[in-house]
Amino acid sequence: MSTRLPLAVCLVSGVVMFLQYFSRHPVAKLVYQTVTNDWWQVIFAFTLIVGVAGFIKISLRKISRKEDVTYSLIAMGGLIAMPTLAMIGGTGIESPFQWAFENLLAPMQATVFSLLAFFVASASFRGFRARSIPAAILLATALLVLIGRLPLAEHISESIPELTFWIKNYPSMAARRAILIGIGLGSMTTALRVILGIERTYLSGK
Amino acid sequence: MDRQKIRWIIFTGLFVIVALAYTVEIKMVSQPSFEVKKSFDYIESLPEGTILMVSFDHEASSLPEVQPISLVLIRHAFRNNLKIIGLSLFAEGTAIGYRTLNRIAAEYDKRYGYDYVFLGFKPQHIAAILGMGESIYDVFPRDYLGHLTDTIPIMDSVENYDDIEMVISITDGDRAVQWIEYAGPRYNQKIMAGLTAAMITSYDPYLSSGQLSSVIGGLKGAAEYENLYGEPGKGNRGMPAQTAAHLYLVVLIVIGNIIYFRNRKRQGRGGL
Repeated sequence: MSTRLPLAVCLVSGVVMFLQYFSRHPVAKLVYQTVTNDWWQVIFAFTLIVGVAGFIKISLRKISRKEDVTYSLIAMGGLIAMPTLAMIGGTGIESPFQWAFENLLAPMQATVFSLLAFFVASASFRGFRARSIPAAILLATALLVLIGRLPLAEHISESIPELTFWIKNYPSMAARRAILIGIGLGSMTTALRVILGIERTYLSGK
Repeated sequence: MDRQKIRWIIFTGLFVIVALAYTVEIKMVSQPSFEVKKSFDYIESLPEGTILMVSFDHEASSLPEVQPISLVLIRHAFRNNLKIIGLSLFAEGTAIGYRTLNRIAAEYDKRYGYDYVFLGFKPQHIAAILGMGESIYDVFPRDYLGHLTDTIPIMDSVENYDDIEMVISITDGDRAVQWIEYAGPRYNQKIMAGLTAAMITSYDPYLSSGQLSSVIGGLKGAAEYENLYGEPGKGNRGMPAQTAAHLYLVVLIVIGNIIYFRNRKRQGRGGL
């Protein structure tokens, strides 16, 4: 029973949501709106609870084992502080919550993101080598695209932006399309396997 | 020289070059790309009062790259007396979106509720995108400031995507893909995207198939749009720094390869 009931719920939900897509009947519309606007949001709220509980559990375990204690304490502090600020002063535009968001979280995120530029610079010096013919082709392409994305490129030679455009629109797009088609087919197959109860990893593989 | 020292030299070099390039004012004009021109012409062609939906689907981390895009797009829309419904499907984009809209609205004397509105954030973006195709009021019963959505004047003529000319997603990730995949085929909604440069190639297939109307990519895209708009802003301001950083990377790659081939030659293994 513990396996059959979730499988049945999954099958019915999957089939109903699949069929409603092709119908404009008011009942189909109502089902669709209820699922997307209400159920989905409720499920999402529960996943948040699971996520937060998991995070607290892992952080407390690390603190008790004295691993990365400072980081875990700061993370836990943030987890407690932000909801507390929201509960005390709301989440309005002039609230302490927004102040913390704009003056703490936003600069910290921007800092971490900016560090990427430094790692890219270091990696391009140490790792981007023409070790083989494919690596040399990749290197030449990267250099061309790097220069082609600059306003200077068209002043150096008009063919650089044209070549960059060609790389972007033919070889790069072909690879991207292949990946997207692969993802699409994979998603369809996985969805069918879940709906038909073949894929059962969400039931711990039972 | 040991690796740590080389790393420090590279990091310091990048910092100095970008900082210097940012402080020096150099005008770098380039021809607008086809996509940026298409975006500009489309907004330019819309009649006054047309309603656009601008979704701020990005984090604070990518603000320096995507904010110039949203600033110039909103300026263009307000200058042409278009109306804007703002929202965010990324929690962190909420305050950013609200402040950006208010700031530009003040420049053009636009009134909240009449010329623009900000609906705020809704979790579960796919559900929100699909839900708005049926009714925006059901997904956002209240706006960001807590007003009932159906009492806001700009929303009088809006029920769902049928009443919105175009959705513009300003994003640093794949959120615009969800707009394309869910609002596009089911509701025939036109989508435009403002993206970070790193994401442009991910959207090329959608652009080529016509599922994505047009795109403004990265700081360069913003700078090109600003030039078409006629008021250089943050995009143009950032171009010298970006150019310097790109050239610095090119120089590093070249130097790295010269050292590599020299070492190979010394070890008696020439060629590729």
